[in-house]
Amino acid sequence: MKRHLTERELIEYQFKLASDVRMEEISGHLEGCARCREHFEQLKCKFSALDLLRQVPRVSEDLIARVIRRAEERPHVKRGAKYLAPPFRRGLPWIGAAAAVLLVGLLLVTYMNRQTMPSREMAEELEPAAEKIKFDVKAESALADRFDKDVAVEKMVAEAPGESEVELKDDGRRRTEESSLVSRASSLGSIAEQPPFAPASAIELVVLPRRENVQLTIYNSADLTLVRERRNLTLKKGWNWLQFMWANTLIDPTSLSLEPLEQKDKIYIQQLVFPARLRELGRWLIHSDFSGQVPFEIMYFTSGLSWRAFYMGTLSQDEKTMHLQGYVRVTNNSGEDYENAQTRLIVGKVHILDQIAELAKRQYPYDRPVVIEEDKKDQLKQMLIREKVPGIGGYGAAGISFEELRPKEIRKEGLSEYFLYTIEGTETITDKWGKRLLSFEAEDIKVVSLYKYDQERFGEQTIRFISIANDKEHNLGETPIPNGNVKIYSQADEQGYLSYVGGTDIKYIPVDEEIELNLGPARLVSVEPILMNYKKDNFVFDRRGNITGWDEIQTWRMEITNTRTLPVEIEITRGFSTAYWTLQADIPYEKYDATHARFKVSLEPRSKRTFEYTVRMYHGERKEVLTKRK
Amino acid sequence: MDSTDRSLIDAHCQGDPTAFGELVRRYGDSVLGYLMRMTGSREQAEDFFQETFKRVHEKAHTLRGDQFKSWLFRIATRIAIDSLRRRSRLRIISLNQKSDCADIDRQELGAAALADDSYEPSGEAIKAEQAEQVRQAVQSLPAKQRATLVLAYYQQLSFAEVAEVLDCSIGTVKTQMYRALRTLAERLPNIGEDLE
Repeated sequence: MKRHLTERELIEYQFKLASDVRMEEISGHLEGCARCREHFEQLKCKFSALDLLRQVPRVSEDLIARVIRRAEERPHVKRGAKYLAPPFRRGLPWIGAAAAVLLVGLLLVTYMNRQTMPSREMAEELEPAAEKIKFDVKAESALADRFDKDVAVEKMVAEAPGESEVELKDDGRRRTEESSLVSRASSLGSIAEQPPFAPASAIELVVLPRRENVQLTIYNSADLTLVRERRNLTLKKGWNWLQFMWANTLIDPTSLSLEPLEQKDKIYIQQLVFPARLRELGRWLIHSDFSGQVPFEIMYFTSGLSWRAFYMGTLSQDEKTMHLQGYVRVTNNSGEDYENAQTRLIVGKVHILDQIAELAKRQYPYDRPVVIEEDKKDQLKQMLIREKVPGIGGYGAAGISFEELRPKEIRKEGLSEYFLYTIEGTETITDKWGKRLLSFEAEDIKVVSLYKYDQERFGEQTIRFISIANDKEHNLGETPIPNGNVKIYSQADEQGYLSYVGGTDIKYIPVDEEIELNLGPARLVSVEPILMNYKKDNFVFDRRGNITGWDEIQTWRMEITNTRTLPVEIEITRGFSTAYWTLQADIPYEKYDATHARFKVSLEPRSKRTFEYTVRMYHGERKEVLTKRK
Repeated sequence: MDSTDRSLIDAHCQGDPTAFGELVRRYGDSVLGYLMRMTGSREQAEDFFQETFKRVHEKAHTLRGDQFKSWLFRIATRIAIDSLRRRSRLRIISLNQKSDCADIDRQELGAAALADDSYEPSGEAIKAEQAEQVRQAVQSLPAKQRATLVLAYYQQLSFAEVAEVLDCSIGTVKTQMYRALRTLAERLPNIGEDLE
């Protein structure tokens, strides 16, 4: 599809109104077209408003009782066998006869089915067991074949010593349905000649060793969080199975990665398997030449964690300084609790391969398509490099080789436009909970209050702005400030009572950048423009007597009122219908752009001030006057 | 419909007094939600709710096959559309500017505020305001488009089921759905980051 998608096509795609063929075409186009993707995201965002009405009301018991009572008052007219009567009464006996034959037939079929049922049921019960046996035999021989080719592994196995049992450090507090790790000995006797077959039984499931620590990096724009957790596992010499479950969570199973943090030369992570028929779990096969406790880092992506920044500013009584508190609200809907997590937030847009939530819902994570576009792969690599990923054991199953994703060097320059925002200390973020965290606090930030009057932008209202800069001079500037909502309060009196001044959304403020906050209409400062004089002059005519040029002269009086108890400064912008104009005013002005002039006026507390200006606008051939003058 | 719906209907036709109550309980929330989104008013929705189940009670013997849910929503749709058409001739002015549903939302928000530590009154007020705007946008749709949208999007019926409820083809359902969405694209508020 060469052209861009229309809004209709995008709507039809989102709500699955198009045919399957068309859906595939649109999907294909969206994958390759950033512009349409952006348009689609905008539409999705728009329609997400519909979810505000998702809540289902509950019917009150009172209403149900009323409905039932009403029904009981009026027993239904026809019931039971009576409603079968009309066809017979209408003289259609053959319908009755046909129905009787059908009924008898049906009864006979049901009876015969019942007779054959037990043997059928037994066969159904036996079938999976038979299949399982077949599968086990096949898989064992397949693994054996593969292992024969794997010289490195073979050598390791030959060198491995005898006994192999596994202990598991267990705090006994975790529920079994949560993500869990299992470590078990692969064989009871000496180390096997080949890696053991992935255990398909759930009998060996045990609870998880407690996390030593966990780090969350939340990429808000992509509904993506990188989780790096450290757990101490006790391994025995030989082969060990480690099981990870992600039931009831939004973890992306294709992103699972495991890496020993110590004894790296003695521990070899051979593979990650997703056993058939067992849902939502993966098992790592680990060979260890070391016996004892080893810290491991488990890393994966999950969805469902998000954050949002917001700010509260309190202006001093003279409105020259402000106390600013920055907060971050982290919300966890991932299905997993994260205790004492070091939380890092990514400000900026990150493009990712898939929606992680979708991946988490897949029944067979290893069965996903392996085609990954080169540019997307690069993005993922870069992101992982930035996160100092030590190794990606689990990606073999997803079609990306171990070596391919192993970072060769750590580069930070020019990777992306996003910024890492780290919350001090650690926080416990429980599933389905939100948590508000203070991200920074700054006192005595110098602010500049400015009122603006611009009819074209704000109508007849005067709008209040305050500006601050994210730099050292303003007691800020240590980190960029993420986008979020800011609310400004003012100290109403010396007792510290506050009054709400206004609020606005702010964009990301880099260090050393200035920002202007629009606090909304000001009721105590007003500007009233009054047209004092209007005339047209200096008409120019062509040979036929038609007007081909003229001057338009307007005289305006601007009345400014400040009823506040503080002095104010107002910026008044006036627009003209042409770029050819000259202006004479009582006070200095600045030519803001081709068609606008700007005045700055200071007013004392509770005062009024007026000034006048006359603008001459040149139309038609009269424009030449100005051009020649220039 | 699963077999228990059919058996409940049969039991009701045979005179079992508990069967009808079970049906009301089973589909009550769903039908009331549908009617509230159709009417924009809880009071009106409850009236239509009673009327719907009254007809189910009276006409249960006419139901053939297993499609109880479609049949139930067809009754509810007819009642809603007919009554709304009739009532549109009478101009009813509410003393309460906002819809009843908005009040319910606010009550729920109040309860949420008590339960949630991170509750922000201003944010929730904005959310309630936006929910009201969405409600108004949905209410502004023609009745058939509204019914299609509510059944397909909120009640999560398949297009085939919606077609059965509205007694039209699947193609017509998709057309009505598209028209509704096209109109809503212009009228829905930009929720942006407020809902994050």
